[in-house]
Amino acid sequence: MVRLLFVIVGGSLIAASGCGASRVDAARADTAAAATLRETILTASDGAAVSEAGPGGTGWATLTGMFTFEGGAPAAKPLVVDKDTEVCSKDGMKLFDRSLLVDGSGKGLANVVVFVRKSSRVKNPVSSDQLVFDQKNCEFIAPVFAARVGQPIDVRNSDPVGHNTNISGTSFNQLIPAGQGTVYTPNKETGMPVMVTCNIHPWMKAYTVFRQDGYVAVSGANGSFTIPDLPAGEPLEFQVWHERASGPNGALALSVPELSWSDKGRFKLTLDADQVRDLGTLVVPASALGM
Amino acid sequence: MRSGTSRFRLSAFGGSGMLAVCGLLLVAATGCGRTSPASFRLNMVEATKQRLTSAQEQQVATILLAMFGTPDEPVCIPEAGLDEAKLRLAAGPVRSDIAGRKNGLYREHCGHCHGVTGDGLGPTAAFLNPYPRDYRPGVFKFKSTERADKPTHDDLVRILHNGIVGTSMPSFALLSDLEIDALAEYVKYLSIRGETEIELMRAFFELDEEDVGKLPETREFLVGEMLTSVAEKWQAAADAVIAVPEMPGDIDLVASIAKGKELFYGDKANCVKCHGVTGLGDGQANDYDDWNKVIVQWSQEVAGDQDAAWVARASHVLAGDALRPRTIPPRNLRQGLYRGGRRPLDLYYRIHAGINGAPMPAAAGTVAPEDIWHIVNYIRSLPYDLDGELGADRPMIAKGD
Repeated sequence: MVRLLFVIVGGSLIAASGCGASRVDAARADTAAAATLRETILTASDGAAVSEAGPGGTGWATLTGMFTFEGGAPAAKPLVVDKDTEVCSKDGMKLFDRSLLVDGSGKGLANVVVFVRKSSRVKNPVSSDQLVFDQKNCEFIAPVFAARVGQPIDVRNSDPVGHNTNISGTSFNQLIPAGQGTVYTPNKETGMPVMVTCNIHPWMKAYTVFRQDGYVAVSGANGSFTIPDLPAGEPLEFQVWHERASGPNGALALSVPELSWSDKGRFKLTLDADQVRDLGTLVVPASALGM
Repeated sequence: MRSGTSRFRLSAFGGSGMLAVCGLLLVAATGCGRTSPASFRLNMVEATKQRLTSAQEQQVATILLAMFGTPDEPVCIPEAGLDEAKLRLAAGPVRSDIAGRKNGLYREHCGHCHGVTGDGLGPTAAFLNPYPRDYRPGVFKFKSTERADKPTHDDLVRILHNGIVGTSMPSFALLSDLEIDALAEYVKYLSIRGETEIELMRAFFELDEEDVGKLPETREFLVGEMLTSVAEKWQAAADAVIAVPEMPGDIDLVASIAKGKELFYGDKANCVKCHGVTGLGDGQANDYDDWNKVIVQWSQEVAGDQDAAWVARASHVLAGDALRPRTIPPRNLRQGLYRGGRRPLDLYYRIHAGINGAPMPAAAGTVAPEDIWHIVNYIRSLPYDLDGELGADRPMIAKGD
């Protein structure tokens, strides 16, 4: 009996290790469905592509609101600063983790990103004025930075030491010498915000989001945000993100039944012309941030 | 003696023992799938990261089969811009055709490291340092194009021909030009397939509620949006080659090296921060390249997740579908081994565009072309620079003067 057990255990060991069975089972393609699908994708469409005719609304509206954090303001966690300390830790200066910034008095939650997923009309053409994305005292000044695709960004370095700015997912990774800057014009949407780092100073971290229509806002220190000039009269779907949010890809899922706020951190609204829609206070529980 | 022992064992095990031995033989003969046709493995890291359901994973596998075929029978949608005849030469099991031409070149020469899927997870991968390239994110380091652009076909051919010095990637100069050409095309195929797969998996998050978690199976979406966004970049690569001004012919090499040294240690080019005061690559050395960083960051995310069942599955995926992350050391510039090629032009490309996928940033735009040439000349002098203690004569970064 013991011997039999040994053989069985040995056999399962071989099955488990010898044949690489330690990998999870991956789904298999449906061969018949693939053959049909291949016909579909090889057949040129007759040009009757459904043109996404805009719902034809007119006028413009504004969305505003304020995020607050349900828990108390967390203690700031100091970062390990071990490079260029003569600048980055000058006079005992300390840098702190900024992934959860809560306003002490009003409990406002900063750096929540709200953007429109799709819109049919845009009020203003892309501005050619340069936005400034600066780094000083060995941190990116803006922890979360939003821009419109096509608008030039002056990526600056106001420090006396050299940095590099590496925007993940975009292949932008450029040396930014001390006191200089370089202009970067985003040419593609990011979807959800992407991380910005400096490889020379590994503690440096920020996020950036680029949107085609520019309908994007980042909540300020008091937690409030405003997106002006939104197209009125069409259903708009908004996406909400926070660095620490526990939803997929950083989606901030809240329980707001009247907005049907989804697990993917989205809600839909149709605004009237000249309306200023105030969502009021949106309370973010600690659980939504995975705490 | 040996046969006696084994006879004893067999009899001692009796009937059930025999059964178990037969079972083991069966496992050995068929269990490893050696006899079943090769198949592409789904990108389980991305699938699990995107929390796809098994139905969604299957949809991706089906779409990929329709668009790209199998490792034995690759097919292409015209929009992929690939040459199917070349792919057939590289694909499939190793064999010779009726004219005696070798087929199955990829599995003969590449698959054991880069994997049948091109995921850099071949059987030998874990034993190599650096790990073999995973083509699926569509990022390649050593190329003549601007940082964000794909390599040209010739860039891939050059790597195959020369190999990558200082790594396990050998030279395939003994293959015919035709064969190298076919392999370069096949690498593009695996890369376009892998990047399309990632796009598809990420597209589930972008679905609207009405789509009930299923990607639209239309030509407009699958070809027009998903495939084209990837394939177009490959087709545009030839137009993205970096324009390199000639190194001035009357350049005074000694002066140029001195200028390059100044730039290397200065705040503008700032090479010293990573490559070190000594040039030994001992500066900023605890960073990861993009392939490893994905695994590092996702491991942290998995560790912090509350959903125990998902954590168990994700840990399983990390153990079986990812290699243990390794940091990327900056190049030791005193060895004279340059992975992307040792021509001055190659070094110019590396400094101008940085190295895509690696922490090395681009200097273009902040460092003038003639200054890049000075840095190239200084770097090329470093392996022969034997005077004094390493770094002892280096001007430490001149701060605040």
